[in-house]
Amino acid sequence: MKALSRRELLKLSGMVAAGSVLVSCGATSEPTKAPEPTAAVAAPTEVPTTAPPPPAQGNVVVMHKVQEGELTEDMVTQFETKYPGITVEVVQDDLTRYFAMYAAGNPPDLVRIQAPTVPPWLARKMLYDLTPYFQASTAVKIDDLAPANNYYMAEDPLHVGTGKIYGMCKDWSPDFTLFLYKKAFADKGLELPSDTEPLTYQKLYELAKQLATFEGDRITMFGFDYPDVWVDRIWMNMLGETGDLLYTQDYTQIALTSSDKAKEVLKYFFDHATDKLGAVGAIIPSPNWIGDDFDKGLVASLMYGYWFSAMAETDVTKDQVLFVPGPTWAGVQRDPTMTATGMVMSAITKVPDAAWTFFQWYNGEEPALDRAGSGWGVPALKSWYEKMPKETPFQQQVQKVLEGELGLSTPPLQFNPYLAEATVSNAWLLYLEQAVGGQITFDELLTSLEKDVNAAIQDGIAAIG
Amino acid sequence: MSLAGPRPERTRATARSRRRQRTFYTFISPWLLGFVLLTLLPLIAGLLISLTNYDGLNPRSMHLVGLDNYVTAFKDPLVRHASGRTMVWVLLNLPLWIIVSFFLAILVNQKIKGIGIFRTLFYIPSVIPAVGLVWTWKILLEQNYGLLNGFLSLFRPGTAIGWLSDQAIYGVTSIALWSGLGAGMIIFLAGLQGLPDELIEAARIDGASSFQVFWKITLPLMTPVLFFQIVLGLISAFQMFVIPWLATTSGSVPAPPRGVYLYMVNIYRQIFGVGRFGYGMAILWLLIVVIMALTLLVFRTQRYWVYSEVEE
Repeated sequence: MKALSRRELLKLSGMVAAGSVLVSCGATSEPTKAPEPTAAVAAPTEVPTTAPPPPAQGNVVVMHKVQEGELTEDMVTQFETKYPGITVEVVQDDLTRYFAMYAAGNPPDLVRIQAPTVPPWLARKMLYDLTPYFQASTAVKIDDLAPANNYYMAEDPLHVGTGKIYGMCKDWSPDFTLFLYKKAFADKGLELPSDTEPLTYQKLYELAKQLATFEGDRITMFGFDYPDVWVDRIWMNMLGETGDLLYTQDYTQIALTSSDKAKEVLKYFFDHATDKLGAVGAIIPSPNWIGDDFDKGLVASLMYGYWFSAMAETDVTKDQVLFVPGPTWAGVQRDPTMTATGMVMSAITKVPDAAWTFFQWYNGEEPALDRAGSGWGVPALKSWYEKMPKETPFQQQVQKVLEGELGLSTPPLQFNPYLAEATVSNAWLLYLEQAVGGQITFDELLTSLEKDVNAAIQDGIAAIG
Repeated sequence: MSLAGPRPERTRATARSRRRQRTFYTFISPWLLGFVLLTLLPLIAGLLISLTNYDGLNPRSMHLVGLDNYVTAFKDPLVRHASGRTMVWVLLNLPLWIIVSFFLAILVNQKIKGIGIFRTLFYIPSVIPAVGLVWTWKILLEQNYGLLNGFLSLFRPGTAIGWLSDQAIYGVTSIALWSGLGAGMIIFLAGLQGLPDELIEAARIDGASSFQVFWKITLPLMTPVLFFQIVLGLISAFQMFVIPWLATTSGSVPAPPRGVYLYMVNIYRQIFGVGRFGYGMAILWLLIVVIMALTLLVFRTQRYWVYSEVEE
């Protein structure tokens, strides 16, 4: 037999290495996002009365944030003890893995998702209609569902808010509220804003300019930070104040260059990056993530929801945090959640009854009750609002503001069913970097962004068929 | 002359040959099976997906779009940008990696006491997991509170160079170089230790200086290793993804800055960020074709510069 020559061996090595391009691509996981509220474990005070355990049986596969503690092994044991006959297999939340499982025709029965995912998945007929289960449930009653659960109700992918129920959130927050670092205001001799009257975005910008502190090129105090990976959700809410949409009525195009109102909103965030008022993508990177920066006393004002109150006070920021209502763009107060993290059931689950039993337990029994008292989010059931912590002066101040925000009853944001969750914000950050660097103008940024997003929408329309 | 004479010998030779072939295929079959299942089939599946509009979600709505994805790729400014940045990356990283790892190999090829410690130290970065390695570098290179800018601020107060943002090409190159040097060094070291001592000794007796020994003997004899390193380095540089991604993205930074927006980064974003699986596979296949073409080109040039003791 002819031995492999050195040249043949090298050729073969080259082929193998080139081929590994594909393999390595599949092996990567979804980049880490900013930490979200986790279900801190608190001792359950009472357990809601539920119907006797249904005779459901089977193995339920749940894709959830295991490593982050939102669904722990202890919780699974607790469930399996309470509902013998049902076993639970937990899979770490991983979009790549989900794609693979779905493509193989065997997706997880229950999946942790966020609100923007509901319309695209609904359009692809991937969600199980849970309405009959909700109607029969005594643990998660329809009339007890908090407003954020409207994100999981839909007539069709373009009309979210009412209709069939496809899931529910685990907890939620009005997400446009602000956390202010009192010391930063004191250091600059600025008066603290009121916690009863909302700031305007314009006033917030002025304050941020005064609060931002530089030492040479170094930023030692960020003036105003916001979750830039969700920037399009903020735009939608700002435009919503005047009844305008980020997209055309049929959601087949993003409307930027044709809308002066949209241009104005986007210009606000362009100026914010140009003036280096806060951490923005890779343009002005955060030392860690904006929540952590706030905790270290590096951020003067931060746009995050109620959930952040559970971690806003640290050794550095103790007694130095003021929670204030979400700002207004055109004088109309709106404060919806922009995430509504929750759970849905796969349309092709083979064990819907068993999966529902777990769904109901996670969202309406012991784990939900533990979450309600933890302060990591507003409970998904209205009857549990009273369980939110209000022992410390800060928690009491937070509750006072939160009460006002909950009273706004803002309708849910309508996400585009033809787009993936991060398409707009990713494209925005990519072109924003060029614009801030002076390589393209703001108008060119808008044109490029619009072109990219519209191409993605067309792909989405074609994919849905 | 008997016609039957050589037959038993030939039969024995054939049987031996068959046995050797069986042994060969038995030993190579695990690799071959892995290659077919984990490389060849995914490649073919990727090629087929590249001809569809698959969005990764629902295979039932997938349909053929012919070569549309490839046509789109040639018009896509992001593909052009990512290709340009990848070329810059390859041209910067490949020569640096080759030169520095060769230099390190020469250093640790000295016969001095305790050289094993240095070899181990230089190789350690190659065995550190990428996440830990990048995290350490991020502490060093962070813009506002990083150690490097802190040090530079001693000379120019308030220095805040964006090593992982606007100057990311340099910051990420440093990380990639540091993590890859050990592996490069080991291969060069193995090559250096295989060089015949008598040639070098003869040159020294003839009065050759160290530089002359290196230039006239070591380097020519090392060209087969150099060639191998260039091929592997080229492929690896074109595939670079993990280090730029880990070093420059976070929860609040969903994509690397434009300076290190490499081709593989764009593929990842198109597939998992935008959900364009079909399109992502198409641009992935274009990359495979480019890598193969360049590899072939390097192979074609070897007759002009790679030393071989055997006539081709």
